[in-house]
Amino acid sequence: MEILGLLLVPIITAGICVFITKHSISKYVSIAGSFITLIYNLILNCAIYSNQTLEGFHGFFYLDSLSILSTQIVTLVGFAAALYSAGYMEAELREGEFPEKRLRWYYFLFHMFIFTMLLVCVTNNLGIMWVAIEATTLSTTFLVGFYNKKSHQEAAWKYIIICTVGITLALFGVILTFHSAKGALGEIGYALNWSNLLKVADGFEPHLMKLAFIFILVGYGTKAGLAPMHTWLPDAHSQAPSPISALFSGVLLNCSMYGIIRYHILTSKCVGPAYSGTLLMVFGLISVVVSIPFIIIQKDYKRLLAFSSIEHIGIIALGFGFGGMYGVYGAELHAFNHAIVKSLLFFCAGNLFLKYKTRDMGNIMGAMKTIPVTSVMLVIGVFAITGIPPFNIFTSEFMVLADGFSSGNLLSIVFSAILLVSIILIFIGFIYNMFKMIFGVPAVTAKQGEANKFTVAAMSFLLFFILVVSLYIPPLLSKILRNIYDIVRNV
Amino acid sequence: MAHQIVINSKTIDILAILMLMSTIMLVGMSRLKNCIWAYAFRSFILAWVSGLIAYFSGIHHIYITTGISLVLKVIIIPGFLFYIINKVKIKNEVESFISYTLSLLISCGIILIAYYSTQSILKFENVFMRHCLPVSLAITLVGFFVMITRKKAITQILGLLAMEDGLFFAALSTSYGMPLIVELGIFFDILVGVIIMGIYVYRIKETFDTIDTDFLRELRE
Repeated sequence: MEILGLLLVPIITAGICVFITKHSISKYVSIAGSFITLIYNLILNCAIYSNQTLEGFHGFFYLDSLSILSTQIVTLVGFAAALYSAGYMEAELREGEFPEKRLRWYYFLFHMFIFTMLLVCVTNNLGIMWVAIEATTLSTTFLVGFYNKKSHQEAAWKYIIICTVGITLALFGVILTFHSAKGALGEIGYALNWSNLLKVADGFEPHLMKLAFIFILVGYGTKAGLAPMHTWLPDAHSQAPSPISALFSGVLLNCSMYGIIRYHILTSKCVGPAYSGTLLMVFGLISVVVSIPFIIIQKDYKRLLAFSSIEHIGIIALGFGFGGMYGVYGAELHAFNHAIVKSLLFFCAGNLFLKYKTRDMGNIMGAMKTIPVTSVMLVIGVFAITGIPPFNIFTSEFMVLADGFSSGNLLSIVFSAILLVSIILIFIGFIYNMFKMIFGVPAVTAKQGEANKFTVAAMSFLLFFILVVSLYIPPLLSKILRNIYDIVRNV
Repeated sequence: MAHQIVINSKTIDILAILMLMSTIMLVGMSRLKNCIWAYAFRSFILAWVSGLIAYFSGIHHIYITTGISLVLKVIIIPGFLFYIINKVKIKNEVESFISYTLSLLISCGIILIAYYSTQSILKFENVFMRHCLPVSLAITLVGFFVMITRKKAITQILGLLAMEDGLFFAALSTSYGMPLIVELGIFFDILVGVIIMGIYVYRIKETFDTIDTDFLRELRE
């Protein structure tokens, strides 16, 4: 029952928002809705902390540490994005980019998007998880194409076609999983419930389960942005409004990764962790390596951030692939860190776009003088995302690397070495591209100052979490991360 | 009883071959309207198969999915696609990156691959579905092939629908379909997905004055 509440709040918020045409009211409804979701999730977090798992509706909902971390990321970034939307959309509205009445659809789809992502994380039924992941695509297509211009329509079309094909392949994986479990399960009723499947996973038909995992990895991997299925990602991220890009990058990729991990656990129990682990490692490394040249030669700052997301989802996959204590702990910590840092960066990118009306990094000079607050945040964000020591991403990347090097498996060591070199190259590309834009003498005399106070509030909110996790990992988070290791290792 | 199962599985085999043929028609036909008719025909056969399976397996919830797929896939979705192509006034030709002859040849290759790759799995299957799994895999892969080689946005939607049909058939023949709530969710997703894609076909036509997706090339590195 408690879990149902978490899903109802975003639906109700969406339902209210669709009837409010005045942006001055709907923005507060949207912020309030996402704030209640955030608080509600914190309460659930405490329940998980003491109880380990929660079930609801005859096992239809299932919440353990793995899912609570994902919902935590959804609600945290969701609240920040709602706060940021209020400021960003206000500014866009004043520029006359779209009529005010279209905004209610924006808020409606925004909260439906949050709802579908929460559903992915809390459902126990693997079929419903598939339905929910497909629903994330459907609810966001209009958000990608929100401005309705040529390039936005192209991005939206690519997004829905590539993702739907990918997800359709994943459906084949779901069917094969169901089929391979048939012998072990017996009765058919709740046969697709993950927690039930896990109990009998060692009795699955191994050939089918191996085949199923490949389909799942390719299918959900498309949505997670793993290379070489990532081609929709830079287009959709760069064309969507900035708050939506932040949600895509920080949360959506993570939710699809969550789906892959659920199957990774099942497959590991069925055929041993080496099979799916190696596949995750290979796709993870490809993603990291593919992103390097695009980050270095990039001209568009939002595409730069999008390719960086591909890199980081690759690192998360590598961490799970290595599979040791530090690998899994580091990978999930990395998912959390990446979500908050990348959202902050997309918010900065949004503010830059509002100020300069261009996404071309060559046309922006001396942002530090023109929009100082955003630029300081941007510098912190760039340092954090590239893994500079005091910041949080350094910790998680270090853990993943340490696990790879200490695993004693030759493949893992080679992969970690390549990852280390890639991280350095990406650091150079990032600093070179971003700092050209931030420092220097302003070429055009744009008006000084920030867009408005909502955007600054959203960025400060995320910055607070980045600094906290940089200094130390709160015990609540640490306990959940350790539980996740137990779940993945199936102890 | 055994006799009945043999007849039953023969009927299903014939229907499976009909479905496969209507998918090949999607590859070989040049008129868009005929392609949509082929889709409606395949969906009808699929509903027939699912009704048969419901009858012989005695699982009641398959009747519900049969009914829904009859209404949704035979009437609503083809109707919507006809509405869209009338609205954007598309001429009949289906343009492809590959010639029709070569496409047909490749489809034959795909069917061979589908049979070959499912050999090892089929060893422990029941008599019911000796042809069903390879055929459903073939339909899915041919749909995928159509999606990546055709230029028109509508044909891409039809390819996607062929993929979904193939998977629906696979689920039905291997495990008597998914649990009901999952099937309902999948139907909902298909319907909403097709409607959204249809809206985008319309919008792309409005702005680009074509639904040839080859013209969507602004976003490149």
